[in-house]
Amino acid sequence: MSLRPAAVLVAALAAALACDAGLEPEPVCARGLVGVCGTAHYTGTPPAETEAVFVVAFHTYPQSCADLLALPPNFQPFPPPPLPRPYADSAAYSVPLTAGRYEWFVAVWKKPGTPTFTTNDTSLFRVAGQYPGVVTVPAGGAISGIDIVVAFDSLRPVTDFVTCTAAR
Amino acid sequence: MHRRALIGLVLTALLPAAAGGQTAGGVVRGEVRDPRGAPIRGAVVGVPGTTLYAFTDAAGRYRLAPVAPGAIHLRAAAIGYAPASATVTLADSAGADFTLEPSPLELPPLDVVSSKVPQFGEPATSVAQLTEQEIARRAVNTVDEAVDKAAGVQILNGQINIRGSTGYVQGLNSRVLLLVDGVPMNQGDRGGINWDLLPVDQIERVDILKGAGSSLYGSAAFGGVVNLTTRDVATGFHARVRATGGAYADPPHPEWRFRNTTGLEGGVDLSGSYGTETAGGRVAVGARHSDGYREQDERDHWQLAGKGRWQMTPRTRLDVSGAWAVDRYQVPLSWCRRGECADSGQVYQPFKVDTTELGARTDSRKGYVSAQLRTVASERFAWQARGSWLRTHFIDYRRSATEFGVANRFGVEVRAEAHPDAARTVLVGGEGTFSDVQSDIFGTHTQSELGAYGESGQQIGRAHVTAGARLDYLAVDAGSMTAVVSPRIGGTLPLAGGTLRASVGRGFRAPTMAERFVHTFALGFEVIPNPNLRPETGWSAELGHTTPVLGAARIDAALFWTEARELIEPQLILVVDTVTMDTTAKIQLQNVTRARIAGLDATVLVAPIPDHLTAMLAYTYLATRPILAFRPTHLLTLSADYAPAGSSGAWGVGADFRYASRPRRIELEGFVDERRVAVKVLDVRAAWTHRPVELRLLVANALNYMYNLVPETLERVRTISITAVWSY
Repeated sequence: MSLRPAAVLVAALAAALACDAGLEPEPVCARGLVGVCGTAHYTGTPPAETEAVFVVAFHTYPQSCADLLALPPNFQPFPPPPLPRPYADSAAYSVPLTAGRYEWFVAVWKKPGTPTFTTNDTSLFRVAGQYPGVVTVPAGGAISGIDIVVAFDSLRPVTDFVTCTAAR
Repeated sequence: MHRRALIGLVLTALLPAAAGGQTAGGVVRGEVRDPRGAPIRGAVVGVPGTTLYAFTDAAGRYRLAPVAPGAIHLRAAAIGYAPASATVTLADSAGADFTLEPSPLELPPLDVVSSKVPQFGEPATSVAQLTEQEIARRAVNTVDEAVDKAAGVQILNGQINIRGSTGYVQGLNSRVLLLVDGVPMNQGDRGGINWDLLPVDQIERVDILKGAGSSLYGSAAFGGVVNLTTRDVATGFHARVRATGGAYADPPHPEWRFRNTTGLEGGVDLSGSYGTETAGGRVAVGARHSDGYREQDERDHWQLAGKGRWQMTPRTRLDVSGAWAVDRYQVPLSWCRRGECADSGQVYQPFKVDTTELGARTDSRKGYVSAQLRTVASERFAWQARGSWLRTHFIDYRRSATEFGVANRFGVEVRAEAHPDAARTVLVGGEGTFSDVQSDIFGTHTQSELGAYGESGQQIGRAHVTAGARLDYLAVDAGSMTAVVSPRIGGTLPLAGGTLRASVGRGFRAPTMAERFVHTFALGFEVIPNPNLRPETGWSAELGHTTPVLGAARIDAALFWTEARELIEPQLILVVDTVTMDTTAKIQLQNVTRARIAGLDATVLVAPIPDHLTAMLAYTYLATRPILAFRPTHLLTLSADYAPAGSSGAWGVGADFRYASRPRRIELEGFVDERRVAVKVLDVRAAWTHRPVELRLLVANALNYMYNLVPETLERVRTISITAVWSY
């Protein structure tokens, strides 16, 4: 074998073998996501009338039912896509959110029914869990590790958190 | 044949006693040089078929004694040179100088590891050799980095794999035996290898036996033997300074950054020696520091090594050597997984560690002393005795617990070498090893091994046949003994197109005290002891052929096959508490695997411009059944070196590329991060030599390829280092 073909062969082989970069960063949040991702940990048994569980985030802590109904634009149409099923053990989730600060990051349980965007909706929803802190979504990026516990055995009405005049 | 060999041995043993009183024999002295007049260090000069051989020192000088008067047929050879022969007539003394022509395709001239007795010619089992020049050219800083470059060899986080032998078991064993100048150096407690026991600057040659070596070496030589030959003490005064400094690349991705400064490494080794023809000694000291390339990866190393020789009589030589090394290294136990550190939104952070283990470190001290006495009673008979003591000590400081271990390994060996005639060699010997350990995770235990071996080599026509066996007795805590028999037979046959070699042998490995008695916690599980472990055994066979091609290449290929039984592997088992009846998952080492390890080992050496350009392609294909953990199916090494002739100084460039396919299986899969990728590492180097100074530049992992060999442990990033050596 002459020198030139051998050198070309060796160089081509080395280049072909070295073309990938080995271990790569693996963001918890999906690439391109602008928003929040984390793990939902499910405890307790989902009630029989469970339709879905989803996440809602508010820039400021709601003081009234009116604040509750003034959802950020991320949640239009409402309700947003549900957290992954089955509601057992834990599952990774992600929620697209515009950049900004969110003071109330909450998991919401919903039973079958159509929201009317009135105080009557409080009968459809229960608070299943909250993130114990403020969530800040960076501009153009995602924040990971926003883990939330969804407790089916202690679903709480929203009236435990805000003042509403609605049927329970 | 064996009876005649035995009679020959006894006669030759008795004869020198009578003859020895009449004459001490003569001396042959001389020098071995290359065509430019430069001395060749480490060349062997000897009388084939006898006990007489010697290696050249730094000045290329050798001395052979005692040589019986008369016509002496001498042979001189060195790796990378064509051998030369000469016949001298000896009265009291004679001189014979040799000039060896460069011949990079030449087979290694001498085998010191496959038969314990240095022998000219090709061994029946594959042997890879690394010369001092190759080690220096690669500018590596530790012995394992040098060994890792040998064909068919892979080092996994300190554990050596020869043709897929060991795998990776957290340093709790080794299926490869390490020898330093022929003295076993595997740890007494864990059976592992302390690659930092000796400074790489003191290594003259590395010989790697690929395949079972238990027929001569006993336990641990299940998958191979690595023999480190340290530099001999040359006559006159010599000094050497080696300094190295380097820098680690930053992580290639900003989300993996873990510090704002550049990691550095550096070290210095000093050695001085003085010798006469009668005696000599050398002392070497050194220190190294590394900031590490990962979080919590700082390392400090101090070492002291010495060697002495004394030609007590013209027939008897005593060699003593020893080393002491102290290490303090932080322990990057495993990389950080999501939530275990400031993960920057990453599923894993390979440069960071779990914050619960921040501050973990290990203090390690180890040392050995050995003495070897060799008496050449005559050209036909020699005997050798040695004693050695290896001590290892470690303390692991963890947040959760502090663990320690102190182990001793004492060894003695006596062997006799006879050459009843020029065509036959007989070797018999006995070896004893006593190990003890005191540890909070291994307990307090002892282990004894007694072995007796014999081997005979015979030239039959053109073929050379070797056969032998070893019987070992093993006892733990002075309890019942286990006996293991390890036979081996092999041979070489020169053919028109090359040389054919074949061997079949049995290897074994006694469970280490760590494997039997370890009691600790790993991966969240309790690791429980198993005192009833039995030795691993295996039959290994090899069929190889080496042949020159068109005068510009040499091809060596070998098919190998091992049928292993009772391999010891960690197992996750369910243990029922007899009181509470609760079931708990625990880890225990058990004899579980019966495995077949087979494959092909091929090396192509090309020298299109002899003495200036050489290239090597080494490929190992490995198939195991069942699929064994940490065994890559494909292992490929490409290396090339170019060195144009220089007038006042010499410079050269070279590169190594290493590929290992992604292991199909890892141990305890499902409980550790299963990420693993193929290995694709390129090392680039350059050197400038102007005696007495050498300057070497090494860019290790030049592509800054990110990979791991064992779970959750990132391998070294791109490292640029400069090494300067001054020799006197």
